[in-house]
Amino acid sequence: MVVAIHQLTAAIYLVACLASGIGLALGNARAARFAVGVLAAGALLHTLALSLLHTAKPPPPLTDLASAASFMSWAGTIAYLALLRRAKVSGLAVLVAPMAFLGVFLAALHLPQAAPATTPGSGSVPHAHVLLASAGFALLGLAGLSGALFLAEHRRLKRHRALPGSGLPSLESLDRAGAVALATGFPLLTLGVITGAMWVHAAHGGALTGSPHEVGALVAWAVYGLLVLQRFAAHQGARRCAVSALAGFALLSAVVVGMGVL
Amino acid sequence: MKLLLLGMNHRTAPLELRERLAVADPGPPLQKLVSCDEIDEAVLLSTCNRVEVIALTRSPDAARLRLRSFFRRELAGDAAELTTRALDEALYEYRDGEAMRHVMRVAAALDSMVVGEPQILGQIKDAYRAAVECGASGPILDRLYQRAFATAKRVRTDTRIAEGPLSVARVAVALARQIFEDMTGKHALLIGAGEMAELALGALRDAGLASLAIANRSAERAAQLAVAYGATAHGLDELPRLLAESDVVLTSIGGDRPILRVDTVEPALRARRGRPIFVIDIGVPRNADPAIDRLDDVYRYDIDALGAVASDNAEERRREQARAEAIVAEEQQRFEGWFAALRAVPTIRDLRGRVEVIRARETSRALSRLALDPERREAVELLTRSLVNKILHAPLARLRREAEREEGMAYLELARLLFGLDDADWDAAGAEAVDAPDGPPDPGLDEP
Repeated sequence: MVVAIHQLTAAIYLVACLASGIGLALGNARAARFAVGVLAAGALLHTLALSLLHTAKPPPPLTDLASAASFMSWAGTIAYLALLRRAKVSGLAVLVAPMAFLGVFLAALHLPQAAPATTPGSGSVPHAHVLLASAGFALLGLAGLSGALFLAEHRRLKRHRALPGSGLPSLESLDRAGAVALATGFPLLTLGVITGAMWVHAAHGGALTGSPHEVGALVAWAVYGLLVLQRFAAHQGARRCAVSALAGFALLSAVVVGMGVL
Repeated sequence: MKLLLLGMNHRTAPLELRERLAVADPGPPLQKLVSCDEIDEAVLLSTCNRVEVIALTRSPDAARLRLRSFFRRELAGDAAELTTRALDEALYEYRDGEAMRHVMRVAAALDSMVVGEPQILGQIKDAYRAAVECGASGPILDRLYQRAFATAKRVRTDTRIAEGPLSVARVAVALARQIFEDMTGKHALLIGAGEMAELALGALRDAGLASLAIANRSAERAAQLAVAYGATAHGLDELPRLLAESDVVLTSIGGDRPILRVDTVEPALRARRGRPIFVIDIGVPRNADPAIDRLDDVYRYDIDALGAVASDNAEERRREQARAEAIVAEEQQRFEGWFAALRAVPTIRDLRGRVEVIRARETSRALSRLALDPERREAVELLTRSLVNKILHAPLARLRREAEREEGMAYLELARLLFGLDDADWDAAGAEAVDAPDGPPDPGLDEP
């Protein structure tokens, strides 16, 4: 059932991808709005799938990559839909929808997975770690996507190749979306790192083991900490913030993918 | 008489070249131009997008050389870096019908960077007025420009080309929406208070900005505009502070040196803590140094860049353009007919003169034999004039009509031949001919 709903969600996200792509290509604002509506419908179905996953008996630990991917894409989509209330970024669906589709598609391919063995006595900490870190990853991903679109738009405006009426978000909207995503994603990532340390402590009796997983996560967290300082304390320019958000997400992705491979 | 138009516009010449040739007061160079033998009448149009001279000449080849020299020496000031080749590549040239059509298309804003924009007509009227005031425009160009103004009016009323949001200023506002999420909280600064600035001001006001400031060299003019548009007026000395407060900066001010340079914009950006500034530079010469493009948070669009964006978005207006072009073609044909008919003028003038001499001489001779009181003499004068006019009316009207066609030139030549209008010894021959009625009767006339 969960797999079937994931497959259906993936199909809906795919429709959102196409609609947003068509909206961008034709400069059609109605297509872009339709894409957001489809994405919201997909997110509802996705919520149902994740709820079913959480209420399964016995409840799965959700620490496997497929579950994490599904949760990340859900958190990213929900965060994006929530962002729409703060910034006019409906055009960002052109990047969010494909990412959501990829996450759910990956999950649909691999669910249900045998969960990695959890450490006895760690309780719900592994579950919380996966949820918090995944949500943080999703939001920082959203900041990275906003940064990517910002840079593309910035480049186009600087080169006098602007497309008025294309339905693409304004630079200010993208910058604001990036700021909000970073401001919410970083605390979640921080909580993810803390719960991760608690999990390691429960398993090994110490918060640090020096594993690549730990080192990578700490480096990524430290880098993001720096980015947060630069953006909110040093008032870095919008283009530099966009570059930083994209670079930070690239590093974080490399760490997550690297951890998965290792 | 031939019409010759030489010029360059936003399509043939880069802004740097147009800046160099731009003329603030066309009077003095025009006076110089029409003082040349080969130029009879001339009008010089200099706007941010074009520099053109149209001339009426009797020797087109010499006039062509004269106009090229005028562009190079008078307008470009013999600039060493401006090669003859660069100028030749930028200049276009139209003659007669093409020149008429071009003038009408420009007036109707069909040749504008933003098709259908309203500013150009006012600029052409100014250029024409300047030519009239300095005595450079004569009856032919007067007629052409009146026709062009009428054409522009017809195009505006009979087509929808002037509708829609695409004036340069409105394109700028559309671009601003790509940078800023919402214009309602934004502050705009207008540098300059000229006509172009005022036109742009309307579009900015309509965008719903939070505040509008006008900075100008003449505080009085800035204050006038400020009152009309609900803005605040400032002097240029307040520019650093105003820049730091402004999200959208529109510049259209005279001067040889850019007013917005890296050293003026950079401190403002620092004060704005990374918030971007959108600079719309519609001044010619440019008011914003292109070097400010290297500043991350500055988006500078000059008149060419705005035009490039506008042309991508003018499809709707282009549909109306075909209808407008048809109106221009019709008006051009009408004017061309009138202009061509001018070819008949020397023949008609000569013929009338010839007949008038004969009439006057014969009337005088007859009156000298008749002892008439002044009233009757006047009646006889009137009678002969009336006879001559009535006899000549039909052939002269035909000559005028035929002169509008290239093939009609044969009629003019025939008329000159039949009436001996080119005979150098006419006075003597004419005198004899005038005496002819006293000689033997013309046999042809007596035959049935």
